[in-house]
Amino acid sequence: MTASPANIVEIAGVTKRFPGVLALDRISVGFRAGEVHAVIGENGAGKSTLMNILAGDLRPDGGRLLVDGKEVKLASPLDSRAQGITVVYQELALCPTMSVADNIMMSDMAARSVVSLLPRDMMRREARAALTRLGMGGLDPDTKVGRLSVAEMQLVEIAGAVRQNARVLVLDEPNSALSKRESERLFEVVKQLRAEGVTIIYVSHHLREVLDIADRVTVMRDGRTIVTMDNEGLSEDQLIRAMVGRDLGAALQWSLQVEPRPEGEDSVLTVENLEAAGLEDVSFSVRAGEILGIGGLPDSGKDGLGDALFGLSARRGKVTIDGKELRGADPLAAIRLGMSFVPADRRGAGGLLRMSVADNVVSASLPRFSLAGFVRRGAVRREARAQVARLDARISHLGQKLGTLSGGNQQKIILGRSLVTNPRVLVLHEPTRGIDVGAKAEIYSILRGIAGEGMAIVMISSEIPELIMNAERVLVLRDGRLSGELTGQSINETAILARAMTS
Amino acid sequence: MADTVRSGARAAAAGRFELSRLLRVREAGVFIALVVICLFLTFATDAFLTSVNLLNIGRQVSLLGIMAVGMTFVLISGEVDLSVGSTYAFSGLATGMLIIAGWGLLPALGVGLFAGVVIGVVNGILSTYGRLPSLIATLGMLSIVRGAALILTNGQPVTVNLRNGAQPSVLDTFNFMGQGYLFGIIPMQLVFFAVIAVLAWLVLSYSNFGFRVYAVGGSAKAARVSGISVNTVKIWAFVLMGLLAAFAGILSLAFLPSGQAGRTGLGLELDVIAATIVGGASLSGGEGTILGTILGVLIIGVMRNGLVLMGVSPFVQELMIGLVIIIAVGIDKWTTRRTA
Ligand SMILES: Nc1ncnc2c1ncn2[C@@H]1O[C@H](COP(=O)(O)OP(=O)(O)O)[C@@H](O)[C@H]1O
Ligand SMILES: [Mg+2]
Repeated sequence: MTASPANIVEIAGVTKRFPGVLALDRISVGFRAGEVHAVIGENGAGKSTLMNILAGDLRPDGGRLLVDGKEVKLASPLDSRAQGITVVYQELALCPTMSVADNIMMSDMAARSVVSLLPRDMMRREARAALTRLGMGGLDPDTKVGRLSVAEMQLVEIAGAVRQNARVLVLDEPNSALSKRESERLFEVVKQLRAEGVTIIYVSHHLREVLDIADRVTVMRDGRTIVTMDNEGLSEDQLIRAMVGRDLGAALQWSLQVEPRPEGEDSVLTVENLEAAGLEDVSFSVRAGEILGIGGLPDSGKDGLGDALFGLSARRGKVTIDGKELRGADPLAAIRLGMSFVPADRRGAGGLLRMSVADNVVSASLPRFSLAGFVRRGAVRREARAQVARLDARISHLGQKLGTLSGGNQQKIILGRSLVTNPRVLVLHEPTRGIDVGAKAEIYSILRGIAGEGMAIVMISSEIPELIMNAERVLVLRDGRLSGELTGQSINETAILARAMTS
Repeated sequence: MADTVRSGARAAAAGRFELSRLLRVREAGVFIALVVICLFLTFATDAFLTSVNLLNIGRQVSLLGIMAVGMTFVLISGEVDLSVGSTYAFSGLATGMLIIAGWGLLPALGVGLFAGVVIGVVNGILSTYGRLPSLIATLGMLSIVRGAALILTNGQPVTVNLRNGAQPSVLDTFNFMGQGYLFGIIPMQLVFFAVIAVLAWLVLSYSNFGFRVYAVGGSAKAARVSGISVNTVKIWAFVLMGLLAAFAGILSLAFLPSGQAGRTGLGLELDVIAATIVGGASLSGGEGTILGTILGVLIIGVMRNGLVLMGVSPFVQELMIGLVIIIAVGIDKWTTRRTA
């Protein structure tokens, strides 16, 4: 493959493998000097992996990277910056305890002699100039970065990059954390930078915005680039059509025929006018034996739903289980009324990684396994053994530490912990994140099994195939509100994406 | 409805912001506390506000202060050094033994200071390239260096005087460093502290190296991405700390003028860290100033002095110092925004 001279950065056949996942599969795409190039694709398509390779944070397993037509190796973020490539991360690389000017000028200072005086006036002046260039002249260079909003921090990081004569600026889902006003500000900056000849690679889920500011759009799916299109007469529908068609792969074989629920059954969980961080006026209900899927973009509010329902974060509105109202911000009450929650962060909030499989299984129902303050070891082992068998978890022995299991088996044990509490409602957040395909399928069939026994399941997921395969009903969130409800035959990728992405 | 939730949160955040803005200059809070304590002692005792007593306080806090200056660099860089009490003992005793052995002043001083530098380098390398948390690395070094001091002195006291073999001219200068007065009134220890503090303040606030220390402690990632060598900066902070702890230990022996490896500087690291933290440095790195550290050292010194003048029992003194640490740091935590 020969590099087109107009391409400032060219990705030629790049492959990146993670354990069990082929994140990038011989990808090729060229970014032209001075364009705004949007990269879109479903969650897990490989967008961030590609951007991390450009940032020098990940090394490709195969393929070539060309900058100005010459092959380069990007072994560290410093290498990337030396090539004029700057990636603005979502977890920003800023120093919160230092001032705006200090942060913008940090690279300049690093390039100077360590025994020189600090040119404070010059730093302030130059920082202000860099900010003014981005239309941010009002921001005081002496403010501590830790006191800024996320949007302002992003702009400070961009200002620093621009000062370093970044020729390529990568923004990976920059507006997930931004308000509408802040996003608009960011677009102004993007347009301004393009006018100055900076190439901008823009990863976003917001199709409207992509159509507004991009010169070209590349669509990714399953670690491949599907198509790169000129943004002329493109519509949101066209973009969605290019994004769908995910390879559901082996998981599909496991997909059972979902039987429609008889009408008129009583709801176990009802939620009325729920308001919480990032959520507004959300109402729905779940019946016994039903798997309700909840989908949406990263900033749709769906990631806060589990915490709000379970009472880990503040909420308003009415939540009832079997007609009994559940007070907010009280997880213990939620457990008592029969709700169990499996959070997305398995390694952090989910499991006790340093404790044994047996201890994890009973950790949510200790009173039942205690006598006069002592844990009844025999009962614990019996229950743990029963759960391990039921969930078909592959472990060497019950005393094995949870942290040493594979992701799929960890998740099975965590599910087991929920099941031991005999919940009426099971709320799952990203139930198969980071789990290999085989284990995913097993977890799906376990979930359908427990639903069949009459439990109500709420499955909050970014993975559209997962929702399609398991849920009888799918609710889609957008901008904190319900934007659609799909049932039975109408649940498909296009329908979900359209409700999640188009405005 | 959600709007009211949100605007409420914003108003609360704004309220806290105002308050923290008042206390933003952390030194201001510590300074006010110091002034209040001094005013109280001025009225409560006759002896407090006299030049003799104030200079005496200055002398008493000097060694603590010299070490706290070093600790400021280490804490800002995001690390901590628990080995300073041992370094203080080792370097002082080593220099003392060399003087007794008839060495000249400069070679003896040089060896003591060099020992501090070596300890600093080891601390630094273990905590960076060695990937040990500095809490663990320097905890190990605390014992190692203390043990080395015990082995070196065979556990015996070291007393620097003519009878033990010191050269008279060397002894005069050595004693002057620890016991003498500049212009017959300002204690030499205080002079050293003042000079070191001013130099450190200039370095930390006005030099490129100082900038890097803040950057490394504030966000190692940001520093690295900008091209700052995080490990190098941290190692230098440890070296500076080792050097200053060694110097303080040497001055201590010159003042007393005897020491014993089993006792000298025992537990001193906690006083040093306490003074630095009262002065506004944070254990999580990125924050702290020399001015704040000086104020922190003075608060602890003035408290000790005042409680003695008021005839408060030493047991109660200890307790009061502990309260000051908790209140001083607590005020900061309770009034500033949680998210940095
Ligand atoms: N550090 C990692 N370890 C293992 N798998 C990863 C890692 N990062 C990403 N993946 C996997 O690679 C695939 C692509 O992820 P990513 O690039 O983050 O997608 P996108 O940004 O398009 O949502 C996903 O299947 C994801 O689970
Ligand atoms: Mg991503």
